Order: sequence, then structure tokens, then C-alpha cells
Amino acid sequence: MKVLGITTQQEFYVGSKDRNFRINEFLVVEDKQGDLIAEVVEAQTFNRYIPLNVYGDFVDASVIESMKALGYDVDEETIYIAKLRLLEEALYPVETGSDVRIPKFSEIKNLMLRTKKEEGLVLGVIRNTDSLYDECEDEFKDLLYTFEERGLVKQREIPFIMDLKSMHQYPHIGVFGGSGSGKSFGLRVLLEELMQKEIPTIVLDPHYEMDFSDCPDYFKDEKRDFNGSFKCLQVGVHVGVKFEDLTAGDLKNLLDASSPLSDAMNNVVDVLFKNKDSYLSFSNRLQALTEAQEEGSVQRIQQRIENAKNNDEKEAWEVRKDLFIQYDKTCPYNSVKGILWRLRRLYNEGIFSKDSRDIENYLKEGFLVIIQGSTRILQVYSTYILNNIYHKRREYKDAQYKKAAADYFPPFIVVTDEAHNFAPKGYESPSKSILKEISQEGRKYGVFLALATQRPTLLDETITAQLNTKLIFRTVRASDIDTIKEETDITSEEAKRLPYLRTGDVFISSAVVGRTIFARIRAAYTISPHTQNPFDELKQKKNEGDEKFMRIISDKLPILGTDLLNTIIEIERDEKITFTQDELIQKLENLYKNNLIGRENTPFGYMYTKL
Amino acid sequence: MFSINNELKTKLTDLNGAIARKYSPILNNDFDMKTFLEENIGSIIKLEKLSDRELSKIKDKGGIVAVDGSTNRKGGSFPHYIELYQGLAKSTNQDVEDVYLTDIYTPILSEIKENPLQDEEETDEKNRRLAQIEVKTALQSVKKRAPYALVMDGGLIRYTIYAKELWKELVEYCLLNDVILFGTIKDIKTKIIGEELKSKYKDLKGPLYDREILFGLLQYKEMLTIYDELNKKEQSGFSSGFIRSSLSPNVVGIDIIEEQKNLLFDMAKLILTLTPENSRGVPLFLDIVDKEVKITDDLIEALLERYLDKDIYERLFVSERDKRNL
Repeated sequence: MKVLGITTQQEFYVGSKDRNFRINEFLVVEDKQGDLIAEVVEAQTFNRYIPLNVYGDFVDASVIESMKALGYDVDEETIYIAKLRLLEEALYPVETGSDVRIPKFSEIKNLMLRTKKEEGLVLGVIRNTDSLYDECEDEFKDLLYTFEERGLVKQREIPFIMDLKSMHQYPHIGVFGGSGSGKSFGLRVLLEELMQKEIPTIVLDPHYEMDFSDCPDYFKDEKRDFNGSFKCLQVGVHVGVKFEDLTAGDLKNLLDASSPLSDAMNNVVDVLFKNKDSYLSFSNRLQALTEAQEEGSVQRIQQRIENAKNNDEKEAWEVRKDLFIQYDKTCPYNSVKGILWRLRRLYNEGIFSKDSRDIENYLKEGFLVIIQGSTRILQVYSTYILNNIYHKRREYKDAQYKKAAADYFPPFIVVTDEAHNFAPKGYESPSKSILKEISQEGRKYGVFLALATQRPTLLDETITAQLNTKLIFRTVRASDIDTIKEETDITSEEAKRLPYLRTGDVFISSAVVGRTIFARIRAAYTISPHTQNPFDELKQKKNEGDEKFMRIISDKLPILGTDLLNTIIEIERDEKITFTQDELIQKLENLYKNNLIGRENTPFGYMYTKL
Repeated sequence: MFSINNELKTKLTDLNGAIARKYSPILNNDFDMKTFLEENIGSIIKLEKLSDRELSKIKDKGGIVAVDGSTNRKGGSFPHYIELYQGLAKSTNQDVEDVYLTDIYTPILSEIKENPLQDEEETDEKNRRLAQIEVKTALQSVKKRAPYALVMDGGLIRYTIYAKELWKELVEYCLLNDVILFGTIKDIKTKIIGEELKSKYKDLKGPLYDREILFGLLQYKEMLTIYDELNKKEQSGFSSGFIRSSLSPNVVGIDIIEEQKNLLFDMAKLILTLTPENSRGVPLFLDIVDKEVKITDDLIEALLERYLDKDIYERLFVSERDKRNL
């Protein structure tokens, strides 16, 4: 391998007659300035006579074969060319003609393995480093498995270990990639590692997929049990907001997240919400005020009081009258009504039925807390819960600084998929303001973000700019590739490869390393609950249904077409399931079609029989 | 944008008419050229490609060596130019190293005096050096390891004219060591058929070249061999033929030394086998050799700039034309 052509202090070409190059592999140039380490950024092969074109003639394969028979193999005329980039700029351009060799592991160890496995997240392997694996220390061997074309494969490349501690200096992680690129799967591996390190983590999971109880078939033998490290909590079922703990600000945030509030509505909350209000007391107050406003004037309410049929009604209208006098001027009817609708909607979604204590407790235990709910609910709830726990952490740290006493709250990581829904670019959303705050100053308080999205272009730019480590999976959309190019140190050669990355292959652009690493995410120890193919599911469900019906029907066979009514009665008696005549015929026909029962033609119509 | 001179248009139209008139006797559909060829020139045969077994036999006997030369010229008019010659002998056996020979010529250091025939002499000098370097390369290659066959690029007659002694040595060596020696002619310049035609049809005037007559006449894989007596009339000591070796209507020529004329068909088949169907008709291997032996003008320039003193280079070899684009 030799350096060819015109060189610069950063880049140059290397040619070889017998060794093919691989992208992202490291090579050492034995230059006059000393040994320089460079990375392959482009690899090409070139054959002067293939693609079968000499002087514009199209060469057919038969001639190539004939030449081979003659002993002349055109393939041997292939040369390999690679474009290399020096990791550190040299003082002078690299000398053309310098020898190039494969590095020893010791020469590049510092470039790849800065972290011990105990202190970092073992996310996968660095691609194209298999030639160095044998030389690598034992502590870095046999850590993981990867998925290749032929299935699960033992580690044979140098592991990629993400330095967790450096998050303190270079906070926040971004995970980008189109659907099917391995993004969610990469996120899963990241979370598994966080669980193993017992880092308190809160995950917003709009897809209900971050469950770590199931182990995939391929890891039957080396099962890792994460039960006891994570907790799935559904908004409205397991967790919610304790209404009594809300401040007017919290409440406004919640209502605003549900759908945006006007100034007048904000005012309604400020005026009408009292500290320690319960949901009931607050909503009743709103309700009463609207009813008073519907009457329209004090006189008419007075009339109501006078016409009251009983004391209760009278008292109720008196309350309304007071409210009307006190608030009608400041709270327009439509705004009060708007607040009431929003409040009821949240209530119906169950947000106020539980509290958030569980989340805090599990975080303190070092759990991975997964908050599940629809995207909308999560937008609302995350605003509340993140504000809440972030400020708890912040109060603790601030108090510590001021040497005052405060309850301990641990540092934690916030993880979310579809992050562009929570922090969209271009318009305000309540969850965005808290995420923005964390992205900008969370580092000081030990609160970090790991945001995944398939549309980095739609993610708020201030937040994107704060993501110091980015995992970039296959991305096809040109606008997203442009965003990625702008936001990372990814080179244009690498950007060109983005649409063609294999699922699970990832560029990791990290401010810690200062360059982009091409890696492959390891095989996950757990499996998403959504991995069953929907078409398999249809088939399975149908089979299950058929089997169940077979069981019910099998001791009733043979069934005569004219005697269905009796059969229906028998089934109803034994199994407590009711069929109409048509349904039963349909089901029987179905079984017959699938060759599970027989059908005979009799003078009284069909007779269904056992096979 | 461009206005075309009307006179030029007329002249081109006239030219077309003149050409059409000249060729009318033979381009005439009534005239059966194929029959004429078979009656007067030689036989037309259909060739078959060699099988892989036959090819591997050739391989076992030492494969094929192809020889080609190239020349580059840099500079202005006499005597301020320099010519580089390079010959390459490449074997299909990739274990055998390629033989490269080079030569340089500039009239500045030669004895040739400026004279009215200078152009012709210059061309002679160029042909002589090129032919010699090709034969030398061939000799060196076959002496290193004798191949089954040695293919020269172009007609063999050139070597007997410009490199007589060396050629004799090569022929003798080949005969002694059972090396088949033949030439493949991409651009045939002979007039064998034309002369025959003219002797039969007196109204034909001017030179008639074989390539004009054979254009599109033979079918793919057909070969026209030339009767011995005609061969003798034209050239010295070779047996030759024309092959349509690809779908392109052009034919290529083949020359083989007299002593090996019984192998003419075999070599023709070899040419056919090694020629891509959709090509210009030249065997791929010859194209490969041709491409490898060629030195690009950029490279020549770089070499001259690197190894000649700037003063000498500028003073002697940079022509006004070279500077036009600067």
C-alpha cells in the first residue's frame, strides 16, 4: 500500500494491488514526519478493463471467459484505491510514495477504547476493526453479540463503549434515523445499558414498546433479567397528577398542553383557581359561574333564588350570585367554558385520578421508569412531571450550594422516542419549554436528555444543538440528511452513505471523541412487545378461533343442517356462548373449507361430520 | 450563430458526387462482389470460435504474447521536438513479466540535415524507430519465455521495411522455437482487391483500398483468404486474410509468415474468439496492450518538465501552439 497522487495535510489517496480497503478502517502512514494515523473515508476499486470498456467497446462476458481460459484473468488487473483522512492534521502534506500499513492495536487503542466497560455503555462494535480484535485486551472481548446476515454472531470487533461520565461535560444524546433503521432498537440497547448501570431514567413511551420483560428466542441461554430494574407506568392508570398539589402555573401548563390557552383563559385560571383546590371544588366553581353567566344578570339570578323550590336550590343560586358578582367582569363566559371543557377532558383521561409519587420513588431507587400513554397525554403529562422532578433535582442542588437542607433527589436521564412531538420546531409547546430548559442547563444539575426522532428537521434547533453525542441511523429524507450534516461533524462522504446504511449500523458523532465512529449496535437482550408480524398474528388468531370452535363443536358432530337450533341451544347451555343460525352455518362452513370437518349431502340438506 | 460559407456547401456536395461516381461500378447492386472475390481473390470461409479446451491447450503451450508500440511527440516543427517510443510485450500468462522498451529521438542531436524531403525522412525515422522497438521488445519477450504465438500489432510488412535485420532474427527465432508469428491489422491499408478489380474493369480509376470494398461485405465470423499468387504480388513472405471479427462492418486483417501459413485459420479463429461481438473488431487483449503501452500527453509533459532543465525545455520543446491555450 502506497500513498498516491496529490496529497494535502489532511487527505490523500492510497493504492494497493492486492488489498481491498474498507471504509472507516484505520491505517498507518509511514511518513517522513513520523507515523501518522488515518482513517479510510472512501474506498474504491478500479479495473481498467472492467466495466468491460476499452476504447468505448462493450466487452462481452464470453471474451473475458475465453481470456481466462487462455490464462489471462482480467480481474487481476484490479487495483484498490482509498481516500484517507488523517485523524490529526499533519504539519506538511503526506509524502507521495510513503508506505502504508495496518496499525497495531496498541497504536489506535486510545482512539477507540477510552472507557472501561464498567464505566461506559457497551452499545455495540466499531465496524471494520476485526483485524485488531485478536490483539485487543481480554476485558474487551466477548462482551456482546451482533446480528449479521447469518444471524447472531459473537463479538469479533472492538466494542464501542460510550463514556457515561463524559456526559457531565458533553451532555445529551440524540438518536436519529428513519423507520426501520434500528433507531428504536438502538434506544432499547441504550436503556438496557442504563439499567445495568442503575442510572435513574425516565422514559416517555408513546408506542408502548419499551417493555423489558420479554427475552428474544436467540438469547434463551444467556437470559438477562431486567425485572426489578424497570417499571412501566401508564398515565391515568398507574400515575397521574394530584390535583391538590397543583399550583395555578402547573394547572395552566397542563391545560395548555391539552390545547393552547388564550390570554383570557389564563386569566380565568389565575382568578378562579384557589390553592388547595380539589378537582371537584374547582370544576364546581367553574360550573356554577357558567350557569350564573347563562342567566345573564343579577336580577335574573335573584329571581331564581326567589323562585327556588327548596332550600338547597336556593343556596346553590346564592353561591352562583356571589360568583357572578365577583367574577363576571373579569372572566368572560366563553373562556370559563373553555377552561371547563379542557379540565373535564383531562379528568376523563384519568390524569387527576392518581399521583406521581411512584415515579419519584422508583427514580430514587435507580429504576428505569417508563411512562406510557398516547402521544397527546404524554405531551400533557410530561410537561407536568418533567417540570416537577427537574425542579426537585434543581432545588436539591441549589440548596446544597447554599448549604441549606433539602430532600435528596438523584440525577436522572430523560429518554423519549418521537422527540419531535415533545419539542417541535417552529411553534411553542409546553413540553418543549421544559425540554429546552433541561437541554440548556440540565448539565449543571445532572439531568440529561436522550432524544430519539425520525425527523431531526422537525426537532427544535436549540435542543438539537445541545445534543453532544449523536447516533445516526439510516436516513433517507434529503432534508433530514441536510439537518444531520449541519448539526454533526459527519463528512459529506458519510452523509452520502446514510441512505444505504444497514439496519443497526450507525454513525456515532461524539463531541468527546471529536470525530464520527461507524459502529453496529449490539443485539438487544430484550425484545419489544410489538415484534410479532401482524400477518402472523392474523393467522394465529384465526387458528386459535378455529381450534376453540372445533373444541366446542366436536362432540356435537354430526350436525344436520335442519337441526341447527338444537345445537345452538346445547352450545348455549354448555359453553354460555350464543350463536345465531347464520353464524353457526358460517362457522361450520369455515371449518369445512379448512378441511377440519367433513360435509355430506343428505336429503335434508348438508350434514357436517367428523373427518 | 454560425453562417456557413455557401461555397463550402457546394464543394462538399460536389465532392459527394465525385465519390459516388468513382465507386459506382462497385457500389452498384447488380455487381456481385462476393462472387468476384471468390473467383479472383480467395475463398470465403465461415470461422468458428475456439472452445475453452482449445484455449487452455494454447495456455499450456505458453499462451499468447502481444506486442504493441506507441509514440508521442512533444514540441514544434523540425528540429524542435522530441519523440518518445515505447514498446510493450504482454503475455496472457500473468506470471510472465511484461517487457517494456523505450527510445527517445530528437532531430536536434541527429545528423539529418534540413532538406526539401525532410517530412518524408522524419516519418521514415519515426517508423523505423517504432518498428525497431516493437521487434526488439518482441525478441526480448520470446527469448525470455517462448509463447505459443506472438501477435504483432499491425501488418508484418512494416517490419521488413523498417527493421529488416531485427525482423529476420525474430522470424528465425520463432521458427526455431515453434512460435507462431502473426500480425493483426486494425486499419488495413492494402489494395489487393482494388488492383485486381482495376485489371478486370478498365473504367475504374484511382486507388481502391480493400477496406472500402470489404466494408459490410463479409458476414460476422466470415473470413476471406487471399490466394498465394496475389499475396506474392503484393508483399514479401506473408500469407494473409481478412476477417469480420465483430458485428461492426469493418474487417480486420491478418498476416502470418509464409512458413506458417497452414496455421492462418487457427490464428484467425483465435482473433475471432478474443474479439467482443459488439466491438470495433479488435481482439480485447490487443486493446489492453495498446492501452497499457500508450503514454498520455500529460504524462509526457510531466516527465519532460521533471527531467529536463527548464531552460532547455522552454527553449527547444515548447511550441507556440502549446502556449495558445495558456
